[in-house]
Order: sequence, then structure tokens, then C-alpha cells
Amino acid sequence: MAEYRLDCLGEACPVPLLKTQKKFAGLNVGDVLIVEIDHSCAMKNVPEWARKEGHNVEIEETGDGEWEIYIEKAK
Amino acid sequence: MKLEENKYFKAVVKNAWPYTVGAVLLALLNITLFIANGSPWGVTTPFVYWAAWIHETLVGPVRDWVYFNNPTHLKALDLTFFTHGGSLMNLGIIIGALFTSLAASQFKIRKIKSFRQVIAAIVGGLLMGYGTRIAFGCNIGAFFSGVASFSLHGWVYTIFIFAGAWIGSKLLVKFFM
Repeated sequence: MAEYRLDCLGEACPVPLLKTQKKFAGLNVGDVLIVEIDHSCAMKNVPEWARKEGHNVEIEETGDGEWEIYIEKAK
Repeated sequence: MKLEENKYFKAVVKNAWPYTVGAVLLALLNITLFIANGSPWGVTTPFVYWAAWIHETLVGPVRDWVYFNNPTHLKALDLTFFTHGGSLMNLGIIIGALFTSLAASQFKIRKIKSFRQVIAAIVGGLLMGYGTRIAFGCNIGAFFSGVASFSLHGWVYTIFIFAGAWIGSKLLVKFFM
């Protein structure tokens, strides 16, 4: 049940999604990855990918134009 | 109730609109523009005019260049930023985008993360600029307006934009991952 952070601030699409996929592959079931983004299209494609894979996703707006995406590895 | 929690505010101002809404609005606006202006929407040709106006002011004439044999381009040389519709529309895109991001409280000046991003932006920008001239436009002028005008060049553009995007994504993974 470890928690990891991935800093994607300043990265434009599709880099946040690619980095998330790469990092997520090494996680165990139950682990949580928090992806920090400031590119609004990553707010769409990162959760879309994670939900399609069947993981639990939550988005939190942490500041003006900044978000944290919480992804819990479900399987 | 706070404004940020109002569902209409959320749907219209805060969240991204559905793709279909955007597509229909773009189509209607492009038709309107075509009726009013006589030519459909384009973004990159004004950039050429900006450069040509600067060149004519500081360096010398461009009127004898092959590109300006085209009567539309030649006529544009005598316009200015504020008398040329395409230039004003490009300004409008920037002002509109600024307004929507401010209204949604999502405006942020992003930090440059690495020197690599700078190089990629400059190289990418130059390649796109060069590409738009030999393809007669960008995603807007060549694809969106080209295909909607039943011009074959719009479809040829579409095939090659996929090839370009495929190569671009390989380069992206190689240099940014």
C-alpha cells in the first residue's frame, strides 16, 4: 500500500500520460500514484486511460491550473 | 452556494466542452466566416504576412518572390495587422483562450522544465512553419477548411499528418521519456 508521486508539472501532452503508464507498470496492487499536472488535457487523457484499465481515479484541483490525479492500482 | 459549485457554471465555464459541441460550433462559425469573408478559416498564412510586412519595413521588398505571385498574397502586402481579418482572428484566438482560462481559474504560466523543451519547441515550430507553407496550411487551413471545401489537398494533407504524427510520437518517446 505504498504511495508514489510523479511530478509532471511543466510537461505537455502526451508526456504526462506516457510517464504515468511507465511508472504505473512497476506498482503493486493497492499502491497509489499521485500524478501532479498543469496541462489541462492531461486531466482528460490520464484519468480516461486509468479508468479504462479498471483502476480507481480521483482528481483534485490543487491550485490555479494545477491538478493532482490519484490513481489506485486495482489489479 | 458558491459559484464554483453551480452545475451550469461547471459545465460551461469550468469543464472542457464535449468534442461534439466543439465540432458543431466550429463548423457553424467556419460557414459564417466563409459567407462573410469569402474564404474559410486559416491560421498560418497571416504569419507569412507578418514576416513579409516586417521584411518590407526593415530589409526590402518581397513582391518579386514567387510566393507573392499569388494575387491574394500580393494584395495582403498592402494591408496592416489591424486591417487584415486573418491577423485579427489570430489575435482573437489568443484573447479568447486567455479569457476562458481566466474565467475557469486555470490560468498558469508554466515553468520551462528543461533545455530540451526549448530546443524541441524551436525545432518543432520551424518544422511546422515550413510544413504549413508547402502544404498550403495547417490543421485548420489545410485539414479543417480544406476537407470542408471538398478540396483534394485536404485529404492528402490528412494522410500525411498521420505519418508525421507517427514519426513525431517516436521522436517524443525517444527524447522525452
